[in-house]
Amino acid sequence: MDTVKTGAAVWMLLASAGLHAADGSEFFEMRIRPVLAKNCYSCHTSAQMGGLQLDTREHVLKGGKSGAAVVPGDADKSLLIQAVRQSERLKMPPNGKLKDSEIADLSEWVKGGAVWGASAAPLKTPEYVITAEQRAFWSFQPVRDPALPAVKDKKWSQSPIDQFVLAKLESSGLRPAHAADKRTLIRRVTFDLTGLPPTPEEVESFLGDRSPNAFAKVVDRLLASPHYGERWGRYWLDVARYSDDRLDSERENVYPNSFRYRDWVIQSLNYDMPYDLFVKAQIAGDLLPGADRDKLEPGLGFYALSPEFQDDRVDATTRGFLGLTVACATCHDHKYDPIPTKDYYSLLGIFKNTDLTEYPLAPKSDVESYKGQKKKIDDQKEAIEAFIKVQSAALGDVLAANTAAYLRSAAGEAVKTKLDQETLDRWKKYLDKTDKEHPFLKDWKKQNPDEVQALVLATAAEKKKVDDENHIRLGLNPSRDDLSKANLVSMDRDRFVLWRDLFGDKGVLHYQDKHIDRFLAPIFKERLDAMRADLEALEKSLPTQYAFLQVINDKDHPVNERVHLRGNAENLGDEVPRHFLSILSKGDPVAYKHGSGRLELAEDIASPDNPLTARVIVNRVWQLHFGQGLVRTPSNFGQLGDRPSHPELLDYLAKSLIENHWSLKALHREILLSSTYQMSTEFIDAAAAKDPENRLLWRANRRRLDIEALRDEFLADSGSLDLTPGGPAKKLTDDNKRRTVYGFVSRRKLDGTLALFDFPNPNSTSEQRLDTNVPLQRLFFLNSGFITAQAKLLADRLRPLKDDTARIDRAYAVLFSRPPTAVERKLGLDFLTSGGDWPQYAQALFSSNEFSFVE
Amino acid sequence: MHSDRNCPCQLSRRDALRTMGAGFGMLGLANLVRGGEATAGSPLEPKPPHFEAKAKHVIFLFLNGGPSQVDTFDPKPMLTKYHGKPAPAGNLKTERKTGNLLASPFQFKRYGKSGIEVSEIFPKLGECIDDICVIRSMYTDRPNHEPSLFMMNTGDKLPGRPSMGSWLQYGLGTENQNLPGFIVLCPGTPIVGPQLWSSTFLPAVYQGTFVPNNEIEPEKLIQHIRNKDLKPAEQRRQLDLIAKLDRLQLQHTGPDPQLEATIESAEIAFRMQAEAPNVFDVRKESEATRARYGDGNFARGCLLARRLVERGVRMVQIYFGDGQPWDNHDDIQIHRKLARQADQPIAALLQDLKASGLLKETLVIIGGEFGRTPAVEVSGLVAVQNGRDHNSHGFSTLVAGGGIKGGMTYGNTDEFGFKAVENPVHVHDLHATLLHQLGLDHTKLTYRYSGRDFRLTDVAGEVLKDIIV
Repeated sequence: MDTVKTGAAVWMLLASAGLHAADGSEFFEMRIRPVLAKNCYSCHTSAQMGGLQLDTREHVLKGGKSGAAVVPGDADKSLLIQAVRQSERLKMPPNGKLKDSEIADLSEWVKGGAVWGASAAPLKTPEYVITAEQRAFWSFQPVRDPALPAVKDKKWSQSPIDQFVLAKLESSGLRPAHAADKRTLIRRVTFDLTGLPPTPEEVESFLGDRSPNAFAKVVDRLLASPHYGERWGRYWLDVARYSDDRLDSERENVYPNSFRYRDWVIQSLNYDMPYDLFVKAQIAGDLLPGADRDKLEPGLGFYALSPEFQDDRVDATTRGFLGLTVACATCHDHKYDPIPTKDYYSLLGIFKNTDLTEYPLAPKSDVESYKGQKKKIDDQKEAIEAFIKVQSAALGDVLAANTAAYLRSAAGEAVKTKLDQETLDRWKKYLDKTDKEHPFLKDWKKQNPDEVQALVLATAAEKKKVDDENHIRLGLNPSRDDLSKANLVSMDRDRFVLWRDLFGDKGVLHYQDKHIDRFLAPIFKERLDAMRADLEALEKSLPTQYAFLQVINDKDHPVNERVHLRGNAENLGDEVPRHFLSILSKGDPVAYKHGSGRLELAEDIASPDNPLTARVIVNRVWQLHFGQGLVRTPSNFGQLGDRPSHPELLDYLAKSLIENHWSLKALHREILLSSTYQMSTEFIDAAAAKDPENRLLWRANRRRLDIEALRDEFLADSGSLDLTPGGPAKKLTDDNKRRTVYGFVSRRKLDGTLALFDFPNPNSTSEQRLDTNVPLQRLFFLNSGFITAQAKLLADRLRPLKDDTARIDRAYAVLFSRPPTAVERKLGLDFLTSGGDWPQYAQALFSSNEFSFVE
Repeated sequence: MHSDRNCPCQLSRRDALRTMGAGFGMLGLANLVRGGEATAGSPLEPKPPHFEAKAKHVIFLFLNGGPSQVDTFDPKPMLTKYHGKPAPAGNLKTERKTGNLLASPFQFKRYGKSGIEVSEIFPKLGECIDDICVIRSMYTDRPNHEPSLFMMNTGDKLPGRPSMGSWLQYGLGTENQNLPGFIVLCPGTPIVGPQLWSSTFLPAVYQGTFVPNNEIEPEKLIQHIRNKDLKPAEQRRQLDLIAKLDRLQLQHTGPDPQLEATIESAEIAFRMQAEAPNVFDVRKESEATRARYGDGNFARGCLLARRLVERGVRMVQIYFGDGQPWDNHDDIQIHRKLARQADQPIAALLQDLKASGLLKETLVIIGGEFGRTPAVEVSGLVAVQNGRDHNSHGFSTLVAGGGIKGGMTYGNTDEFGFKAVENPVHVHDLHATLLHQLGLDHTKLTYRYSGRDFRLTDVAGEVLKDIIV
């Protein structure tokens, strides 16, 4: 803060030091260039509006279509000065006027000979140079093939992973925790890989399997399960900020086909799609040569379902795939990492050259017939609306012409004219209102009804005139842009309010939709009925919309993005070609040649030579198995991110991933079969004192289940879980029995239960789940209809067993994968025999910590 | 651990997680854990500020939609004089096209000893003006609702930053552990919605608890607040069983802050069931009191805000209405109707807080996300040209209590009320001042996320020393 203040103070000193034009280039730099940059450069540099460029003295003297911009020494004759003074025909800048002091400076500058600044290339941002030190940063180094360290305890190590971990433990004088028992292990690994609890039968089968590869068999079974993709796909959706709707201020705005991306992610993981292809499909699934386009195209949902409120595509791409915070370079070069602003705009340019579009999953004929039918419906609706509008307006005129009669009748006089009862009632109600927002009918009983009628008719006529005038000013089908620019005419506010109260949508004399029917002459009524019948028939026969993928494709004529100076879109700097990040390029980055450059970007990211891509994904996988990553900032491998606790292990895993053809399942298998993964959560005082955060991995971390696993566990244990895969998202209501991953995810209003249990905000890419602990969560366990229903179902499920002891034993087997201890059994029996019932007991078990945590 | 707790700015993400888990241990668990490790506080337990605080609570009365400064708290005689004429210096860029200057249809009157002028549509609030500082030189970055709502609530134009109330709870915790520390009331939802009180990357424990105050029944207000099946004694028995099971597990696992925290959270939840329905039931107030606040959702909100702050809730935010009621593009006269619903309850709230002494320690903020143009809106989106467009260049925000000087105005807009010209106050400055009054240095209240330290005030913000007692 202090430095900022000092900086500002220094600047103030300079600025106020009585500079004048005679100081030449300094005056230009301090007083003139900033004014030009702020007000003129957006149109008069490379855009050359009016043929004028104000970027060099030569260009200024040459001028534009209207001639030289400046006549050195003669301010009054200089077009530039005339324009900013706004004294002549040409007035600049177009959206306002410069400050008087700025105009005076410009004049003085011209009088002083229009001396240009010292630097030769005025608009070029200084060349960004990546230093050797920056290049040497750990995460930019190629992935190495580290040698396995020697360890003392040869028996413990089952895999190279263990050797890396044990070597560190031994050098710190620590020992690994005891191995977890088999019940703990199968519960842990089943939740880890599928997000579901093991069934008592699966537990028993594992306990009974004495073969040395019993655990490997469990791991293989789980990796082959379709529920693996449901679990791990959801984690990728955190990164992809997946959502089933848009952040729309006004209304629910649902993506009808978003689930196709979600299902594609799940299926791709289940098929063990190589991770490099998984990445490429999401960036350029439509462009990959020789591939099965239908299999890869759905991946484009990563971008097609981007939050539209902000442009976060560079952010999601770089943090998600590369662990780099490139979006920090939107307004300035990255403060810590070697990422110049131009790299940000270079990547942004790639996405700016794409369009959001749909990729139909139906024959062309289906698409066309749907669209055709839809158009007929829209046309018919429009015709009905237009018809009613005309009739409604005519009716309003007719009723208005009887205003005097209605007023007299409302005042209690007898009138000869036949009046419409509803209209009369509406008039009475309106006339009695004491808070009318205009002055015309305040004392209506004393007013002359004929004069009021004349006013009403005149007001209606005036409104028509104003509408006609505005119609001419706007032209047919004005866009929102036209609307916000047109200079429209308007009627007096009070008379408008009178008009609105009588003729507006809720006006006294306004009838529409069905309400107009009774006023229509038979022939008109028949016509309207016929139109409505046609519409109904059309709507009935409209097929459900054909399926489509939400995808992106390249624009036909790609253009380069320009740097937004200080992030300001109206203040443009250099044009930057589309290319990869400088720090990850060999030598100077080479401009992408094909279309938007997406395919080339995908190839660069998913390259085995990229030092980040493999490291970032293996770290994400590690984090989800162990509760924390080897790098604890999984989406930031930059200077401000965490340093890896086990850099060699990270590289070993990254290298293995690439060598195993980017197979994530092979990666899981290697991790899960290590002794490191199979440790217990044993608390070791000495280790806890030395390494309280367990960075050295001396034991397994106890982890709270995330909301998906937790909710699925309730349903699984109560026996009501519906395991149907895929399909459109449904709200997570109490009667929704499907897996949580298939629930509706909203950017607008996240489901209450998801929000309560730390589900990530789908408005931006997310790297990690939090485990908060709040009383409101406990209220959910204690009181929610969802839990009490599951508790009842569990009680029902156990009822057929012979007695409470058997039921308690079974409940423990289902919920906790183990038998109860004698104390626990007694606690249960005591509870049940002293007034508590089974649903209450089941709910207590559901609410206990053991249910929500995995050892 | 203890030093971490004393200075929230030092909390790293993991520390925060750990602290959160390390909760509530002293209440009944000390016998189960070794040493004093579990005595560390819950993440919501009151935490000492950076320096002595003037205020303990915040009430933010959010007049959503963008109330017009020149029709409420920033009188501009020049507007009347030049009504119907073009502004001499032209109009500033706002979202839509604006035309000639539009005089305020409302009269201004001097109130209180300070003689500050307030529009006739806020007569009762006018009577409280000696307790209020009117900041007349607020400005923000964009003339559009969404970015400006985000800015006012989270200090950034885009979604993704934690809300002010989340920061306050993160920095200070809250005094009443039986109630959420940050409560947001709205009859319906303001546009943008829950993102405005989200904790985003701060732990979810700090997110605002949304309560729709168009409901009267407390049970409809708070999710899962009542058990429909069990009597309190039955639930107590059930809870005791859960605690016994959890303690048995703890004996087996060894010390674990997360597990301990859950046990105590359940106790708090149990107590909340007794306290919250009571607090949220305005029918517990006398007829006379309710009459002083008047009718309507906003009035009920103001009364609830008082009841909540009295019970130690850190921050209460009340959105005036569903959507964006103060967004009067067509007809500025609608402000009169809206003010009728806002004036009396705000005045009653300020008077009650003052009478009980709570105003001294409660910072009350009254205002919207931006102001409105002094020039009439003429774009085709309006049906009648008697309204004003959004204006991010200048608007008024009222601040009262919590060590803020009353009976003063701060800063000024230009002679027509378009742009803040004298002592301009950015939203970041308001946030910095607010945190300062609560004893927090806005440059030190940081949270490390994804490798970067974040603040409510981003990289800006100056405390407005001149408005502080």
